[in-house]
Amino acid sequence: MKMEEGSVSSLDNSKLEGMAQDILSELVEDACLGLCFEVHRAVKQGYFFLDDTDQESMRDFEIVDQPGLDVFGQVYNQWKNKECVCPNCSRSIAASRFAPHLEKCLGMGRNSSRIANRRIVTGNNTNNKSESDQEDNDDVNDNDWSYGAEKKGEHSQKSTVICLNNIFIQTFFHFYFVFVHLSSINK
Amino acid sequence: MSKDYQMKAAINQKLIEMGERERLKELLRAKLVESGWKDQLKAHCKDVIREKGLEHVTVEDLVTEVTPKGRALVPDSVKKELLQRIRAFLAQHAAL
Repeated sequence: MKMEEGSVSSLDNSKLEGMAQDILSELVEDACLGLCFEVHRAVKQGYFFLDDTDQESMRDFEIVDQPGLDVFGQVYNQWKNKECVCPNCSRSIAASRFAPHLEKCLGMGRNSSRIANRRIVTGNNTNNKSESDQEDNDDVNDNDWSYGAEKKGEHSQKSTVICLNNIFIQTFFHFYFVFVHLSSINK
Repeated sequence: MSKDYQMKAAINQKLIEMGERERLKELLRAKLVESGWKDQLKAHCKDVIREKGLEHVTVEDLVTEVTPKGRALVPDSVKKELLQRIRAFLAQHAAL
């Protein structure tokens, strides 16, 4: 019985192998047909020979492999040492520092308001004239709760204290609300 | 013999129903492109077209010229891998 089963299964195996080969040749033929249809359509629509270019234009656009140049042959770090003129304060700034400078100069970046507030607090005690031009622009665009900086000359101690108190009160309220919110969730 | 034929038809139907035939087709296509078979055959197509004339090429021309060469050019590794997958499928689903 076992031997019979063995021979039957080997027959099955060769049949199965034959079937597998058949399936493979069907799949290959499908792939060939697919390619034929693709090519025929390209020929009839006129785009089959589109990617053929002559040798000369191939040489024109060859990849450049020299040091200091990118693949198109352009110099890629020639703007590193250039200087730009800031449209706001009319100073000559290096190109790589230009974007951060503009951020602070126009008072529009993420850090500019923070730095401006810090300067108000510390700049009250030390009168720094060299940065006063920039500070002017920062102050104009500042948030409204740093009102102590509107009058440039009158940096009195009182306005500093009021300003600081304002900051503390705001922070306190923020934490208070967060605490209330959290405790209400826990309940 | 008709029993074999029936069995083959049943297997084919199962292949299609389970989506395995589509998957095998995609796998074969990807492997053929990867191995450069498609580019080789496309170059051969270009020769056939130049021979027959761009305006007068028909699908039948392409098929009769290209299919035998295409079948012969399939790399052995691709054939082996596909046969493996087909055999695995048959082992699972042919024991009816």
